[in-house]
Amino acid sequence: MMDTLCIENLSKSFGTHKVIDNLSFTVPEHAIFGFLGQNGAGKTTTMKMILGLLKPTSGSITVCGEPVRYGQTKTNRYIGYLPDVPEFYGYMKPYEYLKLCGEITDLSIKEIKNKSEELLTLVGLDKANKRIGGFSRGMKQRLGIAQALLNEPKLLICDEPTSALDPLGRKEVLDILLQVKGKTTVVFSTHILSDVERICDRIAILHNGELALSGTLSDIKEQHKQNGLLIEFTSQADKEQFISSPQVASLLTTAEQTDTSLVIHSHNIDKTESAVLATLVEKQLLPIKIEVQEPTLESLFMEVVS
Amino acid sequence: MKSYLAFTKKEFCETVRTYKLLIMGAVFLLLGMMNPITAKITPQLLKSFMPAGIEITIAEPTAMDSWAQFFKNVPQMGLIILVIIFSGIMANEFSRGTLINMLTKGLSRSVVILSKFTMAVLLWTASYALCFGVTYVYTAYFWKGDGVSNILFSVFCLWLFGILLLATIMLGGVIFNSSYGCLLFTGGFVVALLLINIVPRLQKYNPITLASSNMALLANEMSVADFTLPIVICCLAVIGFVISAIALFNKKQL
Repeated sequence: MMDTLCIENLSKSFGTHKVIDNLSFTVPEHAIFGFLGQNGAGKTTTMKMILGLLKPTSGSITVCGEPVRYGQTKTNRYIGYLPDVPEFYGYMKPYEYLKLCGEITDLSIKEIKNKSEELLTLVGLDKANKRIGGFSRGMKQRLGIAQALLNEPKLLICDEPTSALDPLGRKEVLDILLQVKGKTTVVFSTHILSDVERICDRIAILHNGELALSGTLSDIKEQHKQNGLLIEFTSQADKEQFISSPQVASLLTTAEQTDTSLVIHSHNIDKTESAVLATLVEKQLLPIKIEVQEPTLESLFMEVVS
Repeated sequence: MKSYLAFTKKEFCETVRTYKLLIMGAVFLLLGMMNPITAKITPQLLKSFMPAGIEITIAEPTAMDSWAQFFKNVPQMGLIILVIIFSGIMANEFSRGTLINMLTKGLSRSVVILSKFTMAVLLWTASYALCFGVTYVYTAYFWKGDGVSNILFSVFCLWLFGILLLATIMLGGVIFNSSYGCLLFTGGFVVALLLINIVPRLQKYNPITLASSNMALLANEMSVADFTLPIVICCLAVIGFVISAIALFNKKQL
């Protein structure tokens, strides 16, 4: 299977400030690729380089097997792009705007008409026949998706499509992205982790211009499987009694404690759990809660960026 | 070609819906009417402002006075308004980021420049033609247009100078991200032309002649041949500026 997007040793500096440092990753066909990072991590910069809007300091980008050239790039015909804050000509109506986009991408009049109607219905703007200048942020975002999908792109790039939206708007946008999966490859940047867990199958976390983590979501979770075991006692005395036991002493090196509870981190959670249970029985301690904590994307994210 | 037509259509839509067409039309219509009327009523105005007892003799106004007004008002007021109206032609797109969507759809960057330039030229030509037409009709009505030579050629020269300014705006618009930068660039260009005009040896090459010596042409003080070099230089400058604008825009980070 061919990789839709391939980035090799990409670097970008603004003056002396290095924003992207030797970044390499690939996105296979039909994946939904979550591109994570803090604000200012370089997500938008990377996307703009993929679109040929910014000139890489070094490195190469390939889209559908063709190299991206800075400035006028032919690879843009494969790409649909949704900017973080999409801006339109406020004096146009949605249909007129899509018609303009369609004419630019050389669609026939019939295709433009069919596609525009289909997409405006998909994003729920089919009845919004007024000038874009009067649109709300969410409506603009949805029109942004419609224009990005108009030429049936092989690669859809969305720059923080959900950041500025209310929960309902976010759900709608994510649903639309899920719907186009299978037809197109989606790369979307975000710092909302629940969105990523909802729709992405692959992720990359960008930190200080470098790739801190990348791969399929399930693989990453598997690799970083450092589960926690939460034990909560009724009183501090019970907890003290528990931790004074020699059997659990070796486990406590990685534990986090509060007054009445502790969380033990371990790579082999089964062994830890049986040791803990055995100690509890032996000491006749009855905790009010024992829970195995699975790694969350949030804990992974915190781990790599902190 | 299809994308060129589509984007030019978008530019036309913008011109109409952002009232550029209305403003240019109104201003140049007004200028067109003012030229002959000012020429006609100036002597009467002067007379009525004179204190009693003082007699001055003012020559009866002629068609020349009307055209003198035309070639004073259009290069001053008309061209300034033209430059101000179009100064944001690139800056508005840059600052709002509206071009990003178009360019990432595969719209060629040269098409952006050429479409915008086409629309600017069309609007300038239409407004200028309106102004000229109105002045021409009124002048012919008042004075039967006697004693004026080379009128069409002279009008053409000023039109060409307007095109040069539009090409300068395109180049300035690509170089600077703000409309003020573009205004400054265009203003600086005109000042540079005026400064060059101080050197007598360079005068015969200077395109500013096209906007400053029109009356000399009408009065037969200068001949059509005297304008050949400025016209050639002006055309070369227009082509050069538009090509440079495209080349620079192709390399611009957005």
